[in-house]
Amino acid sequence: MKDIDNLQKRSRKLRDFAETMGSSGLAFTGLVGLLFLAILVWQITAPTFIDGESGEIPAANEFITESDYEMEWDYPNTDSNGALTTDAIVLEISWDGGDEVHELQINIISERDIYEDVYINESGLSTNIVEIGRKTKFHLYSSLTEVVLVIQNSGPVPSADETGKPLVSSFVIEYDIAVVYDGGLVFEPLEIIAYATLIFLVIIYRAPKSNILEFMHKLVGKERMVLAIFYALALVTTIAGGLSVPSTLAALCWILAARMMSALIKGIERMLHSGRKLSEVSRLKHSISNRDGLLMWSSMLLVTSTLFIPLEIYIPFLTERYQDIFSPYSSGIRAAFYGTIWVMLIAMISSVPISVGAAIYLEEYAKPTKTTKLIQALVTNLAGVPSIVFGMFGLAIFVKQGGIGWGLGPSILAAGLTMGVMAMPIIVLASQEALRSVPRSLRESAYGVGCTQWQVTKDHVLPSAMPGIMTGSILAMSRIMGEAAPLVVVGATAMIVFDPEPLAGLFGGNVNFTVIPIQIYFWTSEPDPAWHAMAAAASISLIALLVAMNSIAIVLRQHFRRRLN
Amino acid sequence: MSEEAQTEEIPDSTRDLEIDDEKELMIEDLDLWYGDKQALYGVSLPIAKNSVTALIGPSGCGKSTLLRMMNRMNDLIPICHYDGKISMGDVEITGKDADLVEIRKKIGMVFQRPNPFPKSIYDNVGYGVKLHFKPTREELDAIVEKSLKRAALWKEVADRQHELGTSLSGGQQQRLCIARTIAIEPDVILMDEPCSALDPIATAAIEELILELKKDFTVVIVTHSMSQAARVSDYTGFMYLGRLVEFDKTEKIFSDPDNELTKRYITGRFG
Repeated sequence: MKDIDNLQKRSRKLRDFAETMGSSGLAFTGLVGLLFLAILVWQITAPTFIDGESGEIPAANEFITESDYEMEWDYPNTDSNGALTTDAIVLEISWDGGDEVHELQINIISERDIYEDVYINESGLSTNIVEIGRKTKFHLYSSLTEVVLVIQNSGPVPSADETGKPLVSSFVIEYDIAVVYDGGLVFEPLEIIAYATLIFLVIIYRAPKSNILEFMHKLVGKERMVLAIFYALALVTTIAGGLSVPSTLAALCWILAARMMSALIKGIERMLHSGRKLSEVSRLKHSISNRDGLLMWSSMLLVTSTLFIPLEIYIPFLTERYQDIFSPYSSGIRAAFYGTIWVMLIAMISSVPISVGAAIYLEEYAKPTKTTKLIQALVTNLAGVPSIVFGMFGLAIFVKQGGIGWGLGPSILAAGLTMGVMAMPIIVLASQEALRSVPRSLRESAYGVGCTQWQVTKDHVLPSAMPGIMTGSILAMSRIMGEAAPLVVVGATAMIVFDPEPLAGLFGGNVNFTVIPIQIYFWTSEPDPAWHAMAAAASISLIALLVAMNSIAIVLRQHFRRRLN
Repeated sequence: MSEEAQTEEIPDSTRDLEIDDEKELMIEDLDLWYGDKQALYGVSLPIAKNSVTALIGPSGCGKSTLLRMMNRMNDLIPICHYDGKISMGDVEITGKDADLVEIRKKIGMVFQRPNPFPKSIYDNVGYGVKLHFKPTREELDAIVEKSLKRAALWKEVADRQHELGTSLSGGQQQRLCIARTIAIEPDVILMDEPCSALDPIATAAIEELILELKKDFTVVIVTHSMSQAARVSDYTGFMYLGRLVEFDKTEKIFSDPDNELTKRYITGRFG
C-alpha cells in the first residue's frame, strides 16, 4: 500500500512538472511570437514616424504617378545655356475623342532632381512647357474620368517603353486615369444592392419577421421566376462591372441570394404544409434546407468582399507597384500580391483535383499490392523533400525548352505548376488521412441503401472527409505562399512595375513576375533603410494573408464538422 | 466441410427445414471464411414471407455474419470468402454476376448502431429514393412523409425535416434508419441488433414498429435479447459456433426445443 502511495506521489510530481513545463513553454513560445510581431510593427513604423524623418520623406501620395507608363530619356536635350540641342520633345495629349488636343514640350536639362508635374483637367494642361532634370521623373496627373491619349510627336525616342523600341510616330500610350481622387464609389450601385440583398437575407435567416414571411409567402410557386431574376441580375452586374473582382463578387452575392431566396420560399411552403403558422417564426429554421451551409457561404462571401475595400480605396502600400529605387514610400506590393495570388491559384487548380483523386484511388479503390505500397512510400517521402529540389524539378520540366521541358519560361504558370507539384504529396497524405477516418458505419449505411462504390465515395465518404481534405489543402497552400526557394530557381524577378500576366508563359507576353517572399528578400538587400521597413511591412502582409487563409480553413472545418456530429 | 472442427457437443447444422409459409429467401449450405478462419459451417435456412425471423445465439456465433450475407454486405470485407447459395425467388444472391445494387435495394438493412447520414432528416429518407427512382420534388415529398409515418417518426419530426438527422435522439435515429430503409420499398428488411444501443422505451417503440412492418415486409432480426425474439418473431433460429443448431416456429423453440443446447441457452443455463 505504501509503495503504491509513493508511486502515485512520484507520478503526480512528474505530471505536475510536465504540466508546468508545458504551459510555461507554450507561454514562452507565444511571447516570442508576440515579440517578433512587435519588432515587425516597430520596424515598419519607426523610420516613418518615430525617428523624425517625416520632414525628409515626402508624403507618399505626392509621388504617385497615375499612369502605368514611364518615359525615360537617357541624355539631356539642352545645353548648359538652356538652348535645345535636338528636336524639341513634344507630347500631344488628347482626350474626348480628339476634341481636346494639347501639346506639351519637355526640355531635359543636365541637372538632376528638378521636375514639375503636369496636371490635366477639363480646361487643359497646367503648363505647356516643362523643364525636367536628367533621369528625374515627373508625373502626368489627370482628374479626368476618361482615357487620355499621349503621343510623342517629335524629339528623341524615350529609352524604354513596353515594346522596347518605339517609333516616334507610332508611339502611343493609353492609360486609364480616373481612380484615385475623384471620390468615386468603391462599389457600383448594382453591386451595393447585391450586398444589401444578401445581408438582408442573412438577417431574415437569423431573425425572421412574420410580416416579411407573409410577403415571401406570396412568392410560393414562383421560385423559378425569382431564381431567373436573380441570376439575370448576377449576369448584368458582372457585365456592367467589366468582369472586375468586385463585380464578380457581387455576382456571387446575387447567386447566393437567389439560392437563399428559393430555399426560404420552399421552407415557408414546408412550414405551412406541416401545419405551422407563419407567426411561429422560430420554427422556420427547421424547414429551410441547407440553412447552415447557405449562412456560412454568405458570411464568408461578405467577409471576403470587405477584404477588397482597401484595394479599392487606395492604400499606396497595397495598390501601388514597385516604383523606382528612389521612392520606397510610393512603392507597394501590388505586383507581388497579384503574383502570389496567381501562383497560389494555379498551384491549387493544378494540384488539388489530382491529389484528391490520387488519395481517393489509393484509399478506396486500389488493392493493397506491392505496387500500391511502393507508391504510398514514395508519396510519403516526397512530402519531406526540400523545396529547392522541387524548384530544380520545375526548372527542368516547366521552365526550360527542349528535351522534357515544356518551355513555359520563368513565368507565373511555370511557378504555379512547380508549387502545385510541391503541394501534391502534402495534400495526398492529408486527404488519405481524412478518408481513412470516415467511419465504416457510414459506408455500410450507404451501401445498405443500394449505392454503388462511386456513389458511396461521392455522396458520403467525400463530404465526410471534406473538412480534413480542405484543411490539408489550405495548409499546403499557405506553406506554398511563404515559399521563396523554388521560385528563386524558377526565376522570379524583383523589380516588377506592372501587374503580372498569369498565362503569359503559354500565350506569350511579359512573363516576369514576383511574389511577396521574393519581394521581401530583394527589399531587405537594398541599402536604403526605408526599403527595410517596406520589407517588414510586406512580411506583415504575408502573415496577414496566412492568418486569413488559415481562418478560412478553420471556418470550413468547423462548418463541415458540425454536420458530422 | 467442417469435420475437423467438430466437437461432440455441437451438432451439425440442422437440415430439417420445411416451413409452411411462402418462402422469401432460401439459404442453402452456406460456408464462410474470414481469411483462414471459418465462421459459418453449412448453414441452410428458409425465410418466410411477411414474417419476422429472429436469429439468436451467443456472441461470435455467426448470426450477424449470416445476416450480412443476405444482402452481400460481407463483400465489403476483403478477406471474406464463401461457398454456398442464397436465393430470392429465382434470383441467385450469391451469384458471381449478381447485381449488388439491385439486391441491396430489394433487401434493406438496419444496423446495430443508428447510423443516419450526416444530412437532413429529409435527405436521409429521400437519398435512396432519389438514387433509384429519380422522383419529382412533389413525389419525393410524399414518399418521405409516408416513410416517416410508417416508421412512426412523422409526428416528432414533421416540422423539422431539415434539421440534421444526427441531431435526433438514439431511438429516433434508429427509426429514421428504418424510414430510410423502407422508403425504397424493399422486400426484406435485415435488422442487426437494432435495439442494442437503445433504452427500454425506444426498444419498445422499435418492437412495435417491427410488428407493424411485418404486414408489408419480410423482417430478419438478429438479437441478443431472448425476450425480444419471443415477443416479435414468428420463426427463430438458434446459432452456435457458426452452425445453425435449431430452427423452428418461435413458440416451439421457446416452449419445447428439440436440441439440448438450445434448451440450455434459452433457459440461461449455458456454458
